[in-house]
Amino acid sequence: MNKLLPLLALGFLAGCTSIINTGDRIERGLTPPDAVNYATTRPEGGFTTQINDSRFGNKIELLAARKSKTAGGFTQVQFDLRNGSYLGQTANVSFEWLAADGSVTERQGNWMVTPLEPGALTTITATALKSTSSECRLRVISR
Amino acid sequence: MNKISLLAMASLIVGCDTPASYKDPEGRQLVVSLEKINIQDFATAGSAMLQSMITSPAFNAAGAAPVLQIGQITNDTGTNFDTSLLLSKMTVPLVNAGRVTLIESDAVAAAARKNAGSSAKVPQPDFVLSGKILEDRSNAGSTRQSSFVFQLTLVEVKRGVAIWKDEKIVTKQGSKNSIGF
Repeated sequence: MNKLLPLLALGFLAGCTSIINTGDRIERGLTPPDAVNYATTRPEGGFTTQINDSRFGNKIELLAARKSKTAGGFTQVQFDLRNGSYLGQTANVSFEWLAADGSVTERQGNWMVTPLEPGALTTITATALKSTSSECRLRVISR
Repeated sequence: MNKISLLAMASLIVGCDTPASYKDPEGRQLVVSLEKINIQDFATAGSAMLQSMITSPAFNAAGAAPVLQIGQITNDTGTNFDTSLLLSKMTVPLVNAGRVTLIESDAVAAAARKNAGSSAKVPQPDFVLSGKILEDRSNAGSTRQSSFVFQLTLVEVKRGVAIWKDEKIVTKQGSKNSIGF
């Protein structure tokens, strides 16, 4: 019985720990939680980026942002993303809409999970609901 | 020794518990369940469907604030949930942005309106939104996969034809439930 109890305790201890079995998990364990990165369209065309996760650029590329108007006159933006790495990645995206003065007019807060095969290109389309929404701020986390 | 071992075991068991804490319902640290649709799945499907619907040519051609009525949303999955979890992700932004006029079929509001002797007519719907939620499960060894299919149709009342249809599938795979994406 005396020998069994420490073994049982070890069993419980093992149940509490996560088994690190992939390089990705080790990397996550060694680095801070994935930061949110931003790409914002500009009134004069093109977009600006704010990369807060230094590993993001090695994995996912923001290729382009196209802005247009729907038939109803609402702003529509398409962001092109590419997985430039040799591993499958997941881009989690959400977006906010900004008025001409920079104030937030609307937001889609929930994260949309977008799996990307190596080399795969995907287009994220966002359409504004309000006519005052003129610029789009894309939020991206890569996992 | 026996007592010490028992105490060590007890402390280890206590150490396994995670105390409850508040999480951002739109954040990335939510529980991901294989056997049911999670709150973030409704949000994902609802947001994607909303984006699809507002870009459809027929919806754009309907003019300012067409009258929308919610039809029947059938839950054909094995779990019980309120379908407004999906619909609210579409109707709340649409109504608050003034993009649709939503007919509210609340019994109390209808009774109050009747009692007040209101002569204003309830608008006739231009569109009816209806749909179905289905599920598909499969497994390979200990790996389980659950797919939840969200199907929605927007019907133009005047002509009785579907002017927009879309389907969004949320698939989750794993051997056990987890936290975060």
